[in-house]
Amino acid sequence: MSSLGPPAPAEDAAHADITSFAAAFEAWLLSRPAGVVGASFPQPTTGARMETMRRLMSDLFAEGWGRWGWPEAFGGLGGTILHRAVMWEGLARHGVGGMAAFEHLEVLGPTLLAMGPPEFCAQAFPGFLDGTETWAQGFSEPDAGSDLAALRTRATLDGDVYRISGRKIWTSWARFARWSLVLARTDTVESRHRGVTAFIVDLRSPGVEIRSIAQANGHDELAEVTFDDVVVPGDRLIGSLNGGWAVAMHILSSERGTFAWFRQCFLLQHLQRMLQWGTPEADGLLGDAVLDLASVGALSIDALRVHEHGATLGPRAAFTKLVLCAAEQGLFNWALASDADVIIDPVDERGLDLRAAYLFSRIVTVYGGSQQMQLDTVAKQILQLPA
Amino acid sequence: MTLVEDPDSLFLRSAQNALRSTDGDEALRALGWRDLLGSLEEDPDARLGVLAYFQAQGRELGSSGALGELMAHPYAGLFGEDRAVTATVGRRSARRGNRAIVVGTPGSNGILIDRPGHGISLVSLDTLELRPIGFSDGLALHEIESDLTDLPISLGEAQAVALRERSVQLGRLAIAYEILGAAETALAGAVQHARDRTQFGQPIGHFQAVRHLLASARVDAAAIEALAHLSAGQYPALPPMRDAILKALAGRNGRRICERSLQVLGAMGFTAEHEHHRSHSRVLVLDALLGTSSSLAHHIAVTLRESAGVVPDLNLSVAALRAN
Repeated sequence: MSSLGPPAPAEDAAHADITSFAAAFEAWLLSRPAGVVGASFPQPTTGARMETMRRLMSDLFAEGWGRWGWPEAFGGLGGTILHRAVMWEGLARHGVGGMAAFEHLEVLGPTLLAMGPPEFCAQAFPGFLDGTETWAQGFSEPDAGSDLAALRTRATLDGDVYRISGRKIWTSWARFARWSLVLARTDTVESRHRGVTAFIVDLRSPGVEIRSIAQANGHDELAEVTFDDVVVPGDRLIGSLNGGWAVAMHILSSERGTFAWFRQCFLLQHLQRMLQWGTPEADGLLGDAVLDLASVGALSIDALRVHEHGATLGPRAAFTKLVLCAAEQGLFNWALASDADVIIDPVDERGLDLRAAYLFSRIVTVYGGSQQMQLDTVAKQILQLPA
Repeated sequence: MTLVEDPDSLFLRSAQNALRSTDGDEALRALGWRDLLGSLEEDPDARLGVLAYFQAQGRELGSSGALGELMAHPYAGLFGEDRAVTATVGRRSARRGNRAIVVGTPGSNGILIDRPGHGISLVSLDTLELRPIGFSDGLALHEIESDLTDLPISLGEAQAVALRERSVQLGRLAIAYEILGAAETALAGAVQHARDRTQFGQPIGHFQAVRHLLASARVDAAAIEALAHLSAGQYPALPPMRDAILKALAGRNGRRICERSLQVLGAMGFTAEHEHHRSHSRVLVLDALLGTSSSLAHHIAVTLRESAGVVPDLNLSVAALRAN
């Protein structure tokens, strides 16, 4: 592509090249599209955040940008995860504050397309890309948190359908989702991780009940989801029967590995916005936070490259996850140390947004596998210490 | 397909083998390190090899003049010299101001002495008064005691500025790799100890408190490694402050790795007999060169804050994705 003249439209095949894509997308962002501008203002409620992001995703899909990085068979235009990395980096740099439920595109999306039923995904996935039908991920249960293999939600084969009953909790964005991946037991509880299967459940099905959980940071994207004899067609499996653990591990490689790239894009924007309030007394905390942010960047670029080549990180994803937690907490430690208004008197919408982000940073060492479980993974699988 | 651990590069292993059987300067010859140095800019593989040597030197606690030669590389050919030229490595003493350090065993070679604000002087090393300094880590270090204020200037400040930046970038990259290597050796010793040492009827590596100390140390090493590799791939087009960020990260994380390893080793790790103190000292010594982790992190913070809300490209961005 020539560097002269107007940028090529989003669907230009030349954008298979990441440099071409990045240049054209940046030109589009500089035209200040309404969807991007709209998503760059803090939103007062979780629902408003979600609606703003739906509009943005719809625009990105219609223009074509949001289709890059996904296979053509599933509504995409081809390319690799680097296209998505570039797109979200640009959106964050131009003020978009977060991904809302579309973070699940990066957490669940790669696994859905690699291991889900192709025909179903070909029909359903474009709705995720264009913002109309988002997905949730039902892993944790009231009695199965860190010990995920103790999960008790059960799926029973009944003719050519499964019937699912049980309870999931901490399911992000479930209230807004049409579909959910649900890890359910298809063998005895004693079979632990070997007797688990990943299902695709239509959250509009009879028997599904979703209750929002009001969080300590004022948001309520988390939910408790109960399944009471919910019918799921027999072919709505991701991976194989009793093969759900491999699906979960594939997802966690994204959630703990590549996802760090997307999250750090938004952390850098927080850093940029907060710098004007930084005080000399807090410089030590700022320096440390920058070192950790740079580490997350480097580790997550490695993760992106591994995924780009069709592999997954395996236990090394724990490195990325742990350093992301340190960076996020370090960044907000600095913000609070610089100006206690963050907590006691946020003043305006932007301040309220910052307070919610500060408070959320206190819990990042819990979600997606607690810090202690990540350290266990490193000790066992990488250092190979005796169990 | 799953990648569990990045295997060490062939060059890294060769360099470790060489350092086990001979001294550092002989190892550099055997490895053809100076040939690699010659194609540092244009050949990423050569660059990775040049830098992997430092990781090996850290792991094996070797000593050589490689750091000074690497830092002299940006000035190569400027003075029509036909003999080996090295550079001094700067550090700042709170009591005595800027100091010039010769790393490795001093010979009769020419040495570049950088005095920011004045320029660069090329002098013969045997004309200078040297005082051995350093610590128990096996790295030969000398501080130049001679008064440098009246040294003839070989390269004026105006020309020196851009080359100095390259020189310091390379020096900080190399030191980060060497800190990584030394910290890896400290951690490996502690991991082995956790497998071997029995208390309460079990190997202490069975206890979660110990496991988490070692795992945290391993995460710190992974962070240095990732940022060092990314930076080595991007050189010479490093984003602003990257060399300072990398060196500060290596110093901070390197010290933490050694401290956690020492905690696992217990009192035995604090003896002169145990080898832990050698890698720990190497990390501490290297942290003192070209800016300590504390001073660099402070500099980074102040620079960012004074940029008035415009974050310089930390290069966690598209350019980084495109590199390699």
